[in-house]
Amino acid sequence: MVIDFSSFYNLPRQLDRFFDETWRPSTISQRRNAYPPVNISEDKSNIYVFSEIPGVDIEDIDITLSDGSLVIKGNRKHGTGSYYRQERPTGLFQRVVNLNVPINLDKVNAKMKDGILEVVIPKADEAIPRKISIKAE
Amino acid sequence: MTSEVKKRETNTLPRFSPNTDIIEQQDGFHIYMDMPGVAKENLIIDLKENDLEIKAKANYPRMEGVSNIHLEFGDCEYNRSFTISDVVDRENIKASMRNGVLEMFLPKAEKAKPRKIQIQAG
Repeated sequence: MVIDFSSFYNLPRQLDRFFDETWRPSTISQRRNAYPPVNISEDKSNIYVFSEIPGVDIEDIDITLSDGSLVIKGNRKHGTGSYYRQERPTGLFQRVVNLNVPINLDKVNAKMKDGILEVVIPKADEAIPRKISIKAE
Repeated sequence: MTSEVKKRETNTLPRFSPNTDIIEQQDGFHIYMDMPGVAKENLIIDLKENDLEIKAKANYPRMEGVSNIHLEFGDCEYNRSFTISDVVDRENIKASMRNGVLEMFLPKAEKAKPRKIQIQAG
């Protein structure tokens, strides 16, 4: 049974891959060399961490906050049967994100949509910049 | 060729060929494709004769008033096509999208299923 006519080492695809990796769009600042890829943004009061983890339920992802770092852990399972092609990564993964600001541990919020994990970490009150009004005399 | 990545100059979105698993089981073939950020509405599956083409667009919610510290992924397009053989029952191909993974089930046509042949003792 042939479902996939390409050779095992699909050279054109490999080349495309290589060029995709080398000339990444300028919006993406870092190359992905760790799994899972993360995006980190912040505003005055929150830190937002997004991560691409397709095919994993939120219950199977372990999110821990300790010592100012966020740890995302999980396991990607694979199906059974005879594989014609396997490109999706499987197995245990872990990614650590260092947070250099004090955070409010009680109000951390995580949700998952379309394979994207979103973690919102509120900064602790003392880390939020505040305007101090100066009275002129 | 499984994945001819065609580059269009007019389009600014980066285009990727999604990671794919193809597994054969007793009843048919399961294709899993990692397409994080793709909602069901942004997915197009076309079957033309022997070619099954999958196109999708991943849109991440834009956030206003935030500064991006570190970015490793962004909006993109996914594109990949497969050639399927006559063994597949085209009428009953099923597709579902769950947690950013497209799962397609291509059942084997009745005539292609392995069958035990009874031997009659004569």
